[in-house]
Amino acid sequence: MERLLSGDLYPSPHRLSLCGKIILFDCKRASATHDSERSELIFCSLSFEREVNAFVKAADGAAVISRKRSARVDVVKCKCAINVQKRVTTPCVLVTKKSKKGLSFQYSLLTLSSSNRLESCIEFKLPYQMRDNVSILRGPTVAWSHAGNVFHASLQTGEVRQIPLQLSHCVIGELPLHTEQVFVLGLQSLPDQCSNTHSTGQALGYFVQSGQVFDGNMILPHPYVCITRCILVLSAEKVDDVLKSAVVAATSNQQLVLFENGIVKDVCQLPFDQPENIQVVNTGRNGCLLVISFHQGHVCAMWKETFQIASHWSSVSSVHVDDFLGCGTDQMLLLFKDRDLTEPLEKFLLTDLCGISYSRGQDSGAPTTPPPPPENDLLTLRALESRLQSGLTVLQELQREMRVKSRVLQQSVQALTNAVSGRETILSQHEQEGLVALWDCDDDDEDEKLKDEKTQDMPAVSSQPQVDKLWHRIAEERLVVGVMLTTDSSVPVASVSLSILTETGQSSTPAVIQAQSQVFWLPAPCSSSSSSSSSLPSAHTFSEPAAKRSKQHNVGRPTDLNTCRLAVTAVARLTPLLISGCVKCRVMLHYVQRRDAFAGVSNPTPVVLHCGQVALDIHSNFQTQLLKTPELKTDDAREDLLSLMALLDRWVFHIDSPDHSLGDVDSWIHKLAGCRRIEASPQYLLLNSSGPSALMLLHWHQISPFQGELSVHASQLQTLQFLDSLLAYLPTSCSIRSVRGTRGQGAAQMLPLALEKELVSLRECVSLLLCEEEEEEEEEKRKSLGHEETPEPGSVKGLQRCREVFQGDVERSKTRLSPLVDVWRYRRLTQNMSKLQLDGDLAALLDLDAQRTLLS
Amino acid sequence: MHQPLCLLDSWSQENNEAVNKWKQLEGGGDALTRDQSQNHSRLIWCSSEFHKLLRKIQGIPPIADHTQLELTVVYNACVCSIAQSQFSEAELLLTRATERVLQMTEDDSAASDPPVFWRTALKSVGNTALKPRVLYLLCLQWAIWLATCQLKTIQGFQDELLSVFETLSAGVWEEERSASRRKSSDIPLLVMDQRRLIELLQICTLIAQGAERLSEGQSSEALSGLHTASALPAPRTLIAYTHLLSGSCLAHMSRPQMALQCYRMALETDSRCVCALYQSMLIYRQLGNTQAEIQALRLLHSTLMLPSATEPALAGAHLLPPSLLLRSQSLSSLLSVPAALSVLHSLALKCVLHERVSEGVECYLDLLAALHSEDQHGVHAEGPPLPKLPELYLQAGAALLMARRPADCMALCDEVITTSLELLPGKVVLEEPVEKCEAETGTLCAEGEDRVGMLLWVGAAYLLQGHCHIHLRDWKQAVTHYTRCFNLLVKVHFKKRGCQPQIPSADMVGMQGTDLCILQRLKGLSLAGRGISFTQIDQNREALRDLQLSMQAFPECTGAGLWCGEVLWRLGRRREAVACWEKTWSLTPQSSVQSLSVYLQEPQSGPLLDSTELRRRIQELRPTLSA
Repeated sequence: MERLLSGDLYPSPHRLSLCGKIILFDCKRASATHDSERSELIFCSLSFEREVNAFVKAADGAAVISRKRSARVDVVKCKCAINVQKRVTTPCVLVTKKSKKGLSFQYSLLTLSSSNRLESCIEFKLPYQMRDNVSILRGPTVAWSHAGNVFHASLQTGEVRQIPLQLSHCVIGELPLHTEQVFVLGLQSLPDQCSNTHSTGQALGYFVQSGQVFDGNMILPHPYVCITRCILVLSAEKVDDVLKSAVVAATSNQQLVLFENGIVKDVCQLPFDQPENIQVVNTGRNGCLLVISFHQGHVCAMWKETFQIASHWSSVSSVHVDDFLGCGTDQMLLLFKDRDLTEPLEKFLLTDLCGISYSRGQDSGAPTTPPPPPENDLLTLRALESRLQSGLTVLQELQREMRVKSRVLQQSVQALTNAVSGRETILSQHEQEGLVALWDCDDDDEDEKLKDEKTQDMPAVSSQPQVDKLWHRIAEERLVVGVMLTTDSSVPVASVSLSILTETGQSSTPAVIQAQSQVFWLPAPCSSSSSSSSSLPSAHTFSEPAAKRSKQHNVGRPTDLNTCRLAVTAVARLTPLLISGCVKCRVMLHYVQRRDAFAGVSNPTPVVLHCGQVALDIHSNFQTQLLKTPELKTDDAREDLLSLMALLDRWVFHIDSPDHSLGDVDSWIHKLAGCRRIEASPQYLLLNSSGPSALMLLHWHQISPFQGELSVHASQLQTLQFLDSLLAYLPTSCSIRSVRGTRGQGAAQMLPLALEKELVSLRECVSLLLCEEEEEEEEEKRKSLGHEETPEPGSVKGLQRCREVFQGDVERSKTRLSPLVDVWRYRRLTQNMSKLQLDGDLAALLDLDAQRTLLS
Repeated sequence: MHQPLCLLDSWSQENNEAVNKWKQLEGGGDALTRDQSQNHSRLIWCSSEFHKLLRKIQGIPPIADHTQLELTVVYNACVCSIAQSQFSEAELLLTRATERVLQMTEDDSAASDPPVFWRTALKSVGNTALKPRVLYLLCLQWAIWLATCQLKTIQGFQDELLSVFETLSAGVWEEERSASRRKSSDIPLLVMDQRRLIELLQICTLIAQGAERLSEGQSSEALSGLHTASALPAPRTLIAYTHLLSGSCLAHMSRPQMALQCYRMALETDSRCVCALYQSMLIYRQLGNTQAEIQALRLLHSTLMLPSATEPALAGAHLLPPSLLLRSQSLSSLLSVPAALSVLHSLALKCVLHERVSEGVECYLDLLAALHSEDQHGVHAEGPPLPKLPELYLQAGAALLMARRPADCMALCDEVITTSLELLPGKVVLEEPVEKCEAETGTLCAEGEDRVGMLLWVGAAYLLQGHCHIHLRDWKQAVTHYTRCFNLLVKVHFKKRGCQPQIPSADMVGMQGTDLCILQRLKGLSLAGRGISFTQIDQNREALRDLQLSMQAFPECTGAGLWCGEVLWRLGRRREAVACWEKTWSLTPQSSVQSLSVYLQEPQSGPLLDSTELRRRIQELRPTLSA
């Protein structure tokens, strides 16, 4: 492992622990005779005696390294390593012998045998001095790096070998595997590599024994390779040829990082700089401790499970992990630095932080374990707190649920007892219960409003509206015909619509072409027939299929009829016109005089007005003027705009943001790409990003800082796209409600159709059921009814007759209230009905959905 | 071989998981079901998660590929730190992150001065893809400056901050959105929408600056900033603040009606903006519109009593609540509202003083009930403190008497008397205030104040009881109580510097509202009351003595003057009587009478003399006088 040494290259003392003993190595120059001086390596093994609370000498010995006087002998490193041949862990010590000239260095690795004899194991000579990154590994193997190369020498090879990879920033470690234990990790050094910003550097691994190259990312992700100062492999196994490993590495960024299979699992900030060694202490039941020793004698211990600092010490000369007490679990032995190193191991702390603690020579006053940094406390506390909180949350939620359930139970019981005792049950409002109603129950207000409006006084004078201008546009496959009308404000008209009639030449009866009519109210002054700046505030659509559904005309707002200028448009498909070979069409205006509006639907007086003829030119294209230059303010541009509005589907959205103001939506729309203001009607913005199919007309009306109304004239998809991007701009809490607009006909009519169908089939089914049972009876009655003359309701006598007939009916129906029917038929009926009702419900739900919120 | 997940991806995932979890917590469940502490713990969890991740990311040297992610995590961690008010920690995160970015781009030594540092950072980032991320960090720095009230720094950095907004609004968001749509799993997510953050920062900065300018007296400058602020997209509360501050500016520029409009707008915008209500009440008070003031006070009180009024809006729903960014002293003083009880007291007093006695009485009773039910909490709220309890009792008593409920008034006075009587200074102690008082200013020293104050309270209680008995036409009892009051009062000696202690007289009264003044007033009123009582039991001599003494002690006492004349008339000293009446009528009512407590006012309920009758008598007498 890497070692950074300052000043003294190999600091003494050299100690290692083995089998509960601590072994001290030292080089000594012993002068045997005056002229011949020999250098000796002496060792001394000590074991801990509990009784005296001290280490006592167990064995000692010495070995002569050199007899030359000039040679200087130093211990480079000592460490326990497994001797592969003997299959035992032996203490190894690497000794260097420097020649006098300092040109060559003799290295020898000595092992201490079980009989306490030092034996030379490997010897080699190097032309340089090992500086850093010297490791004694299993084998025993000595590995070191020098000048960008990694070398190793082991008992097996017996010689120095170089790893055939150019690696920068190498990390040497060993895996606890059966084979291929010793590995070297490094970054493949590329020639053009900068010092810091290696973006795609590959971490390569190399097994020393087998010479196999593997992906280093499996052990250590490549950004970590160059900052790793020391490494410890906690576990490793090969599953299906895939290496699984758990590794801790101390980095130069003061962090200890836990990797599992090359993924960063946890990080802990270290309290000191320059980590040198990581050891693991197995304290038995209490889990494992990681002991990290740092340069300059700092040591810190952390729990492996929590990855939290447990304790740290300073001015420690060395740390050893072994079962010094012989109790079956590991302890760590901290040997403290002493000013006078007269007696070895005079000052020590033997502890596992879980109850075992022996110390000697330490200042009694000073706390042996300074409290861990407060941030760790804080983190632990926070973790505990959050766990507590989450538990509390769960508990509270359960309690709440329980309360709700018990309430429901209570209410049910109450209702039941009430039902039994015949009292009326007062059900609480759903809001009160925090429930959401599935349907609205208050729609009566609207109706009343409408009634009120209808009962307004109306002037009785009638006059024809004046047709100012008739125009038409052709867009793609559709024809837009428009009429500008001026009506006398005293004579309001309702249910205004246009229809287009084909002139089939010879034939005298013109055909009506299916068209969709819309009315735009123009708030222009009444007196001036040619309005200067007409703005288009509102548009109402009347769908007018060939089979006219008269009721749809009532959709319009009759109150708006005070305004006297309006534009009526009709959109029709172009193809039927062209098929019929027609080039000229008549345009008819339909309207109802307003005074009839409150007289009832029974006798409306629809008026038809011939507005003129439209000559179709198949080659004319749609409103290029407005699209090209929305700045135009001509009448043509206005007509273009109107026809655009008639063509495009209209959607009105009410945007409500209860607790966040909307900001300047108008300018946001204006800033959109391809958005231009239409000068003819400046509140409209034209969004023309690509082609006429993607046209969009937008109108933003800000009601308050928190509310606004957005009208969009565009296709459905486009509207949705626009709303999506608008939603990103709007506050998250805001709601968009589709107020009204021209939706697809199918959707709009689905509910009424479903209801109609349901009603009709119910009637038919029931009548069928009853009819077949009582056919003859029915027949008879019909006859009897037919014989009677219809009574005139005017006279008293007639009234009397009517009453009699009615009472007779009532009697009869009473007797028929519970008729006997065939059970199979009845079952079939109910089945059919439930199917139909299901359809109706679905349609109602869809309709409700569409009405309330188009987008939730 | 199995390919391990790339660091970048796994960290990205971790970040997104934490963000999603937070968003889920933020969005899930309505505000009612979540309380503050729960939210806080969630925030702490998120914060530790982001910090842990950041430690991992910053554990390796900066890599260009990781910068986007790193800055995102820095943003997230920093937002969490700011949300926990750990500003220095957040600032440290920002500088460290920016330094790492700088390390990558160029090896510039970073300046220690924050603005310079940020300028170099922005310059070195240039227009690369990193720019938006660095700008986000700058936004967080902005938030820290704002939260730590470094408005000057923000002012100096205004141009850059504005350009931040411009840059980010010009399509960057759209790009990010479209990018995130493409591959949402790979893009590191932000825990707080940066656009919302910028919007919040903008309006909060404008509000803080407005408040600062307002406190510096630059109302018109403040007004323009606030006007722009009111159109910005922002939470309801903040929009209300802009209106409120505009109102305050206008009030400072002496445009009270416009200010009222602004306050109304603030209230309309956010019904919880009680400070607007309070400020409008102050304006009404300033304008002398008492009815409106009372109305405002009533509204204010009922609003303050609502449970939602006290808790801040959007509690915990957002990561960075506006209150975190608006911490300036000048703003908080503008936003402060007195406690509900204090408002109730002002309301009660106002009602009593302005002919709405029955309402005032109700308010007083509510107040006393509230004080009894929560005598520990609620009393010590911010704002002007409530008067002491005996004072409140006496005021309530006076109000009750005005409302013709003498029995209740007497009960309250009894309460005051029984609680204080034992604590009253004895004869020996009596000399004490005299020893230490200073005649020039008329203030009595703090040590004696309590005792003198207590004595005055008890005196006033007796006085009120006397009034009650007068009201009940129980003249003898009235005499007894007035005598008790008077006996108590004569115990107070007054000492001018260098002189011997003496019984104070009317000419020594300096300022209104001082203890001495109250003392003299009490004396005058009690003597007058006793005198009037004597007149009713035909002890005219005693009556005359008391009334004359009363007029000596408290010359402005009209009741005493009129009755003195009446007694003189009855005794046949008609000329003196006329002189006495005319002198009394010539007295101008004291302007500062309102500054005195209600119970020190002359009673309205005693036996009255018809002034027309008196004038008739004078008219009758005139010919004889002139003859």
